[in-house]
Amino acid sequence: MPKLFPDLMRALALLAAALVCAGLGNRLARADRKLDWTGWAPPAGLLPATPAPPPPPQAQAHPAAPEPAPLRGKGPRPPVAPAPPSPAPAAQFAPAPDAVIRDIASEAAWEAFRLRIPFLDARRSAEFQDGHVPGAWSVPVWEADAAARITEFEARANPAPLAPIAIYCSGGDCEDSRLLAKKLVDLGYRNLFIYRDGFPDWVKRGRPQERGARP
Amino acid sequence: MIRRLLHPWLTVRAQIALGAVFVAAALPKLADPPGFAEAIWNYQLAPAWLIHPAALTLPWLELLCGLALCLGVWTRAAAAWCAALLLVFATALSVNLARHHPVDCGCFRTQTRARSADERVADMRWAILRDLGLLALAAQILAAGAARRRDLAFSPETDTMEGSPGA
Repeated sequence: MPKLFPDLMRALALLAAALVCAGLGNRLARADRKLDWTGWAPPAGLLPATPAPPPPPQAQAHPAAPEPAPLRGKGPRPPVAPAPPSPAPAAQFAPAPDAVIRDIASEAAWEAFRLRIPFLDARRSAEFQDGHVPGAWSVPVWEADAAARITEFEARANPAPLAPIAIYCSGGDCEDSRLLAKKLVDLGYRNLFIYRDGFPDWVKRGRPQERGARP
Repeated sequence: MIRRLLHPWLTVRAQIALGAVFVAAALPKLADPPGFAEAIWNYQLAPAWLIHPAALTLPWLELLCGLALCLGVWTRAAAAWCAALLLVFATALSVNLARHHPVDCGCFRTQTRARSADERVADMRWAILRDLGLLALAAQILAAGAARRRDLAFSPETDTMEGSPGA
Protein backbone atom coordinates (compact mmCIF):
# COMPACT_ATOMS: atom_id res chain seq x y z
CA MET A 1 0.00 0.00 0.00
CA PRO A 2 1.50 3.34 -0.95
CA LYS A 3 2.47 5.52 1.92
CA LEU A 4 0.64 8.74 1.31
CA PHE A 5 1.56 10.53 4.50
CA PRO A 6 5.07 11.68 3.47
CA ASP A 7 3.74 12.88 0.12
CA LEU A 8 0.97 14.81 1.83
CA MET A 9 3.50 16.47 4.11
CA ARG A 10 5.68 17.33 1.12
CA ALA A 11 2.71 18.80 -0.72
CA LEU A 12 1.89 20.94 2.32
CA ALA A 13 5.56 21.94 2.58
CA LEU A 14 5.48 23.09 -1.05
CA LEU A 15 2.40 25.19 -0.31
CA ALA A 16 4.00 26.65 2.80
CA ALA A 17 7.17 27.48 0.87
CA ALA A 18 5.06 29.15 -1.84
CA LEU A 19 3.28 31.25 0.80
CA VAL A 20 6.58 32.32 2.37
CA CYS A 21 8.10 33.17 -1.02
CA ALA A 22 4.95 35.09 -1.99
CA GLY A 23 5.11 37.12 1.22
CA LEU A 24 8.79 37.92 0.80
CA GLY A 25 8.51 38.56 -2.92
CA ASN A 26 5.58 40.92 -2.49
CA ARG A 27 7.41 42.81 0.26
CA LEU A 28 10.46 43.31 -1.95
CA ALA A 29 8.53 44.03 -5.15
CA ARG A 30 8.50 47.40 -6.89
CA ALA A 31 5.52 49.59 -6.08
CA ASP A 32 3.79 48.91 -9.40
CA ARG A 33 4.24 45.15 -8.96
CA LYS A 34 2.89 44.99 -5.42
CA LEU A 35 -0.49 43.51 -4.64
CA ASP A 36 -2.43 43.79 -1.39
CA TRP A 37 -3.14 40.45 0.27
CA THR A 38 -6.64 41.68 0.88
CA GLY A 39 -8.02 43.29 -2.25
CA TRP A 40 -11.18 45.24 -2.79
CA ALA A 41 -12.15 43.96 -6.21
CA PRO A 42 -15.92 43.53 -6.07
CA PRO A 43 -17.19 40.03 -6.71
CA ALA A 44 -18.39 39.23 -10.18
CA GLY A 45 -21.92 40.23 -11.03
CA LEU A 46 -22.09 43.04 -8.48
CA LEU A 47 -20.76 45.72 -10.77
CA PRO A 48 -23.24 48.50 -11.26
CA ALA A 49 -25.25 48.26 -14.41
CA THR A 50 -24.52 51.12 -16.72
CA PRO A 51 -27.51 53.06 -17.89
CA ALA A 52 -27.78 54.16 -21.45
CA PRO A 53 -25.39 56.94 -22.32
CA PRO A 54 -26.79 60.43 -22.11
CA PRO A 55 -28.15 61.83 -25.32
CA PRO A 56 -25.63 63.71 -27.41
CA PRO A 57 -25.54 67.38 -26.63
CA GLN A 58 -27.70 69.55 -28.76
CA ALA A 59 -26.21 72.14 -31.02
CA GLN A 60 -24.64 74.61 -28.69
CA ALA A 61 -25.06 78.31 -28.79
CA HIS A 62 -21.31 78.66 -29.09
CA PRO A 63 -18.99 76.68 -31.29
CA ALA A 64 -17.43 73.71 -29.56
CA ALA A 65 -13.68 73.51 -29.65
CA PRO A 66 -12.63 71.62 -32.73
CA GLU A 67 -10.85 68.34 -32.22
CA PRO A 68 -7.15 68.43 -32.97
CA ALA A 69 -7.43 66.14 -35.93
CA PRO A 70 -3.96 66.68 -37.37
CA LEU A 71 -2.25 66.57 -34.00
CA ARG A 72 -0.44 63.26 -33.92
CA GLY A 73 2.50 64.12 -31.75
CA LYS A 74 2.90 63.56 -28.08
CA GLY A 75 3.39 67.17 -27.30
CA PRO A 76 2.37 69.03 -24.22
CA ARG A 77 -1.17 69.97 -23.45
CA PRO A 78 -2.30 72.49 -26.05
CA PRO A 79 -3.73 75.77 -24.91
CA VAL A 80 -7.24 74.92 -23.96
CA ALA A 81 -9.87 77.58 -24.18
CA PRO A 82 -11.29 78.44 -20.78
CA ALA A 83 -14.65 77.00 -20.03
CA PRO A 84 -17.22 79.08 -21.85
CA PRO A 85 -19.58 81.11 -19.76
CA SER A 86 -22.61 79.33 -21.14
CA PRO A 87 -23.44 76.20 -19.13
CA ALA A 88 -24.87 74.38 -22.13
CA PRO A 89 -22.00 71.94 -22.81
CA ALA A 90 -21.58 71.27 -19.14
CA ALA A 91 -25.21 70.29 -18.80
CA GLN A 92 -24.52 66.71 -19.79
CA PHE A 93 -22.09 66.46 -16.90
CA ALA A 94 -24.60 67.69 -14.34
CA PRO A 95 -25.26 65.19 -11.57
CA ALA A 96 -28.18 62.83 -12.07
CA PRO A 97 -29.47 61.20 -8.89
CA ASP A 98 -30.53 58.00 -10.60
CA ALA A 99 -27.29 57.43 -12.51
CA VAL A 100 -24.13 57.88 -10.51
CA ILE A 101 -22.00 56.07 -13.10
CA ARG A 102 -22.63 56.90 -16.74
CA ASP A 103 -20.90 55.84 -19.93
CA ILE A 104 -19.78 58.59 -22.26
CA ALA A 105 -18.73 58.35 -25.86
CA SER A 106 -15.65 59.76 -27.47
CA GLU A 107 -17.02 63.23 -28.24
CA ALA A 108 -18.32 63.70 -24.71
CA ALA A 109 -14.92 62.66 -23.37
CA TRP A 110 -13.29 65.38 -25.46
CA GLU A 111 -15.86 67.84 -24.15
CA ALA A 112 -15.05 66.76 -20.59
CA PHE A 113 -11.36 67.27 -21.27
CA ARG A 114 -12.06 70.70 -22.69
CA LEU A 115 -14.08 71.59 -19.60
CA ARG A 116 -11.11 70.53 -17.47
CA ILE A 117 -13.06 67.80 -15.74
CA PRO A 118 -10.49 65.64 -13.94
CA PHE A 119 -9.58 62.40 -15.69
CA LEU A 120 -8.62 59.29 -13.77
CA ASP A 121 -6.57 56.66 -15.58
CA ALA A 122 -7.42 53.19 -14.24
CA ARG A 123 -4.80 51.33 -16.29
CA ARG A 124 -1.54 49.94 -14.97
CA SER A 125 1.10 52.53 -14.12
CA ALA A 126 3.41 51.27 -16.87
CA GLU A 127 0.69 51.93 -19.44
CA PHE A 128 0.09 55.36 -17.89
CA GLN A 129 3.75 56.23 -18.30
CA ASP A 130 3.66 55.19 -21.95
CA GLY A 131 1.00 57.80 -22.62
CA HIS A 132 -2.12 59.23 -21.03
CA VAL A 133 -4.67 61.98 -21.30
CA PRO A 134 -2.88 65.22 -20.38
CA GLY A 135 -3.41 66.07 -16.74
CA ALA A 136 -4.92 62.67 -15.91
CA TRP A 137 -4.39 61.11 -12.49
CA SER A 138 -3.00 57.59 -12.45
CA VAL A 139 -5.05 55.24 -10.25
CA PRO A 140 -4.13 51.71 -11.31
CA VAL A 141 -6.91 49.74 -9.65
CA TRP A 142 -4.97 46.49 -9.45
CA GLU A 143 -1.83 47.86 -7.85
CA ALA A 144 -1.32 47.99 -4.11
CA ASP A 145 -1.09 51.77 -3.85
CA ALA A 146 -4.37 52.49 -5.65
CA ALA A 147 -6.02 53.66 -2.41
CA ALA A 148 -3.09 55.98 -1.67
CA ARG A 149 -3.34 57.43 -5.17
CA ILE A 150 -7.04 58.11 -4.72
CA THR A 151 -6.20 59.87 -1.46
CA GLU A 152 -3.59 61.94 -3.26
CA PHE A 153 -6.07 62.83 -5.98
CA GLU A 154 -8.57 63.89 -3.33
CA ALA A 155 -5.97 65.94 -1.48
CA ARG A 156 -4.68 67.78 -4.54
CA ALA A 157 -7.76 68.08 -6.74
CA ASN A 158 -10.23 68.37 -3.87
CA PRO A 159 -13.25 67.20 -5.89
CA ALA A 160 -16.74 67.75 -4.50
CA PRO A 161 -18.91 64.62 -4.18
CA LEU A 162 -21.13 65.81 -7.03
CA ALA A 163 -18.32 67.15 -9.21
CA PRO A 164 -17.99 65.25 -12.48
CA ILE A 165 -15.03 62.88 -12.75
CA ALA A 166 -14.08 61.10 -15.96
CA ILE A 167 -12.53 57.63 -15.80
CA TYR A 168 -10.97 55.63 -18.58
CA CYS A 169 -8.95 52.50 -19.19
CA SER A 170 -8.12 50.59 -22.36
CA GLY A 171 -11.60 50.51 -23.87
CA GLY A 172 -13.05 47.34 -25.35
CA ASP A 173 -13.89 44.89 -22.61
CA CYS A 174 -11.64 46.61 -20.10
CA GLU A 175 -13.37 46.63 -16.71
CA ASP A 176 -10.80 48.63 -14.77
CA SER A 177 -12.70 51.93 -15.12
CA ARG A 178 -15.81 50.28 -13.77
CA LEU A 179 -13.89 48.87 -10.80
CA LEU A 180 -12.45 52.29 -10.07
CA ALA A 181 -15.88 53.89 -10.44
CA LYS A 182 -17.27 51.39 -7.93
CA LYS A 183 -14.52 52.31 -5.51
CA LEU A 184 -15.24 56.02 -5.94
CA VAL A 185 -18.95 55.44 -5.38
CA ASP A 186 -18.02 53.72 -2.12
CA LEU A 187 -16.04 56.83 -1.21
CA GLY A 188 -19.09 59.01 -1.79
CA TYR A 189 -18.65 60.34 -5.33
CA ARG A 190 -21.90 60.48 -7.23
CA ASN A 191 -21.18 61.89 -10.68
CA LEU A 192 -18.83 59.58 -12.54
CA PHE A 193 -18.37 59.26 -16.27
CA ILE A 194 -16.71 56.28 -17.88
CA TYR A 195 -15.05 57.02 -21.19
CA ARG A 196 -16.20 53.83 -22.83
CA ASP A 197 -13.71 53.56 -25.67
CA GLY A 198 -10.80 54.50 -23.47
CA PHE A 199 -7.29 55.55 -24.28
CA PRO A 200 -6.90 53.63 -27.60
CA ASP A 201 -9.74 55.74 -28.99
CA TRP A 202 -8.12 58.90 -27.61
CA VAL A 203 -4.91 58.05 -29.46
CA LYS A 204 -6.73 57.01 -32.61
CA ARG A 205 -8.39 60.39 -32.85
CA GLY A 206 -5.08 62.18 -32.61
CA ARG A 207 -5.88 63.93 -29.37
CA PRO A 208 -3.04 65.27 -27.25
CA GLN A 209 -1.31 62.97 -24.84
CA GLU A 210 1.34 63.15 -22.18
CA ARG A 211 4.02 60.67 -21.29
CA GLY A 212 5.75 59.80 -18.07
CA ALA A 213 4.64 59.75 -14.48
CA ARG A 214 2.60 62.57 -13.07
CA PRO A 215 4.87 65.18 -11.48
CA MET B 1 1.23 -1.96 -22.47
CA ILE B 2 0.59 -0.49 -19.01
CA ARG B 3 4.17 -1.36 -18.08
CA ARG B 4 5.41 0.48 -21.12
CA LEU B 5 3.31 3.55 -20.33
CA LEU B 6 4.65 3.63 -16.78
CA HIS B 7 8.28 3.07 -17.78
CA PRO B 8 10.79 5.20 -15.83
CA TRP B 9 12.25 6.46 -19.12
CA LEU B 10 8.90 8.07 -19.91
CA THR B 11 8.44 9.33 -16.36
CA VAL B 12 11.70 11.27 -16.42
CA ARG B 13 10.72 12.96 -19.69
CA ALA B 14 7.25 13.69 -18.40
CA GLN B 15 8.68 15.26 -15.26
CA ILE B 16 11.03 17.52 -17.18
CA ALA B 17 8.41 18.55 -19.72
CA LEU B 18 5.74 19.26 -17.11
CA GLY B 19 8.24 21.01 -14.85
CA ALA B 20 9.53 23.21 -17.67
CA VAL B 21 6.00 24.23 -18.65
CA PHE B 22 5.17 25.15 -15.06
CA VAL B 23 8.36 27.17 -14.62
CA ALA B 24 7.71 28.98 -17.91
CA ALA B 25 4.13 29.69 -16.86
CA ALA B 26 5.14 30.91 -13.42
CA LEU B 27 7.75 33.51 -14.41
CA PRO B 28 5.52 36.14 -16.10
CA LYS B 29 3.01 35.88 -13.26
CA LEU B 30 5.73 36.26 -10.64
CA ALA B 31 6.83 39.42 -12.42
CA ASP B 32 3.34 40.92 -12.40
CA PRO B 33 1.00 39.82 -9.58
CA PRO B 34 -1.49 42.69 -10.17
CA GLY B 35 -1.90 41.61 -13.79
CA PHE B 36 -2.46 38.01 -12.72
CA ALA B 37 -5.00 39.13 -10.11
CA GLU B 38 -6.91 40.91 -12.86
CA ALA B 39 -6.76 37.77 -15.01
CA ILE B 40 -8.20 35.70 -12.15
CA TRP B 41 -10.90 38.30 -11.54
CA ASN B 42 -11.85 38.21 -15.20
CA TYR B 43 -12.74 34.54 -14.87
CA GLN B 44 -15.51 35.63 -12.49
CA LEU B 45 -15.32 32.40 -10.53
CA ALA B 46 -13.13 32.98 -7.48
CA PRO B 47 -14.60 34.76 -4.46
CA ALA B 48 -13.30 38.30 -3.96
CA TRP B 49 -11.30 37.43 -0.82
CA LEU B 50 -9.41 34.68 -2.64
CA ILE B 51 -8.27 36.63 -5.70
CA HIS B 52 -5.30 38.50 -4.27
CA PRO B 53 -3.88 35.64 -2.14
CA ALA B 54 -4.24 33.30 -5.10
CA ALA B 55 -2.52 35.77 -7.46
CA LEU B 56 0.39 36.05 -5.03
CA THR B 57 0.75 32.38 -4.09
CA LEU B 58 -0.14 30.37 -7.21
CA PRO B 59 2.85 31.53 -9.31
CA TRP B 60 5.27 30.56 -6.54
CA LEU B 61 3.55 27.20 -6.15
CA GLU B 62 3.86 26.66 -9.89
CA LEU B 63 7.53 27.63 -9.83
CA LEU B 64 8.40 25.42 -6.88
CA CYS B 65 6.49 22.44 -8.28
CA GLY B 66 8.06 22.96 -11.70
CA LEU B 67 11.55 23.11 -10.22
CA ALA B 68 10.89 20.04 -8.06
CA LEU B 69 9.76 18.09 -11.12
CA CYS B 70 12.74 19.20 -13.22
CA LEU B 71 15.19 18.38 -10.45
CA GLY B 72 13.50 15.09 -9.55
CA VAL B 73 12.84 15.81 -5.89
CA TRP B 74 9.47 15.37 -4.19
CA THR B 75 8.12 14.50 -7.60
CA ARG B 76 4.87 12.90 -6.50
CA ALA B 77 3.91 15.78 -4.24
CA ALA B 78 4.79 18.26 -6.99
CA ALA B 79 2.95 16.23 -9.65
CA ALA B 80 -0.09 16.05 -7.39
CA TRP B 81 -0.11 19.86 -7.07
CA CYS B 82 0.34 20.23 -10.82
CA ALA B 83 -2.56 17.85 -11.47
CA ALA B 84 -4.75 19.75 -9.00
CA LEU B 85 -3.85 23.13 -10.54
CA LEU B 86 -4.40 21.85 -14.08
CA LEU B 87 -7.81 20.50 -13.10
CA VAL B 88 -8.72 23.89 -11.62
CA PHE B 89 -7.47 25.75 -14.71
CA ALA B 90 -9.26 23.42 -17.14
CA THR B 91 -12.47 23.62 -15.12
CA ALA B 92 -12.32 27.42 -14.93
CA LEU B 93 -11.79 27.67 -18.68
CA SER B 94 -14.55 25.14 -19.41
CA VAL B 95 -17.07 26.92 -17.20
CA ASN B 96 -16.40 30.24 -18.91
CA LEU B 97 -16.51 28.61 -22.32
CA ALA B 98 -19.83 26.99 -21.45
CA ARG B 99 -21.37 30.27 -20.32
CA HIS B 100 -20.01 32.17 -23.35
CA HIS B 101 -17.77 34.44 -21.34
CA PRO B 102 -14.53 34.74 -23.32
CA VAL B 103 -11.55 35.46 -21.10
CA ASP B 104 -7.83 35.87 -21.58
CA CYS B 105 -6.26 32.65 -20.37
CA GLY B 106 -3.63 34.32 -18.19
CA CYS B 107 -1.62 31.11 -18.52
CA PHE B 108 1.68 32.37 -19.91
CA ARG B 109 1.15 36.12 -19.96
CA THR B 110 -0.64 38.54 -17.69
CA GLN B 111 -1.33 41.49 -19.98
CA THR B 112 -4.78 41.50 -21.43
CA ARG B 113 -4.78 41.94 -25.16
CA ALA B 114 -7.35 43.61 -27.33
CA ARG B 115 -8.82 40.62 -29.10
CA SER B 116 -12.16 39.60 -30.45
CA ALA B 117 -14.41 37.20 -28.59
CA ASP B 118 -13.91 34.57 -31.29
CA GLU B 119 -10.15 34.68 -30.92
CA ARG B 120 -10.48 34.34 -27.17
CA VAL B 121 -12.84 31.37 -27.48
CA ALA B 122 -10.44 29.63 -29.89
CA ASP B 123 -7.58 30.22 -27.46
CA MET B 124 -9.63 28.90 -24.57
CA ARG B 125 -10.34 25.67 -26.44
CA TRP B 126 -6.63 25.22 -27.13
CA ALA B 127 -5.78 26.02 -23.52
CA ILE B 128 -8.22 23.36 -22.28
CA LEU B 129 -6.69 20.78 -24.62
CA ARG B 130 -3.21 21.80 -23.48
CA ASP B 131 -4.23 21.48 -19.84
CA LEU B 132 -5.64 18.01 -20.47
CA GLY B 133 -2.40 16.97 -22.20
CA LEU B 134 -0.35 18.24 -19.28
CA LEU B 135 -2.77 16.49 -16.95
CA ALA B 136 -1.94 13.24 -18.75
CA LEU B 137 1.76 13.85 -18.01
CA ALA B 138 1.00 14.47 -14.33
CA ALA B 139 -1.12 11.32 -14.24
CA GLN B 140 1.76 9.32 -15.74
CA ILE B 141 4.14 10.59 -13.05
CA LEU B 142 1.69 9.79 -10.26
CA ALA B 143 0.74 6.37 -11.64
CA ALA B 144 4.35 5.40 -12.28
CA GLY B 145 5.26 6.43 -8.76
CA ALA B 146 2.41 4.41 -7.31
CA ALA B 147 3.34 1.38 -9.44
CA ARG B 148 6.96 1.59 -8.37
CA ARG B 149 5.95 1.76 -4.73
CA ARG B 150 3.74 -1.27 -5.19
CA ASP B 151 6.54 -3.21 -6.85
CA LEU B 152 8.99 -2.21 -4.15
CA ALA B 153 6.57 -3.31 -1.46
CA PHE B 154 6.84 -6.85 -2.83
CA SER B 155 10.58 -6.80 -3.45
CA PRO B 156 13.24 -7.61 -0.86
CA GLU B 157 15.02 -4.29 -1.57
CA THR B 158 12.23 -2.23 -0.11
CA ASP B 159 14.25 -0.97 2.79
CA THR B 160 17.19 0.20 0.70
CA MET B 161 15.01 1.94 -1.89
CA GLU B 162 12.72 3.69 0.52
CA GLY B 163 14.72 6.87 0.85
CA SER B 164 15.84 7.25 -2.72
CA PRO B 165 15.27 10.66 -4.26
CA GLY B 166 12.02 10.98 -6.08
CA ALA B 167 10.58 7.90 -4.46
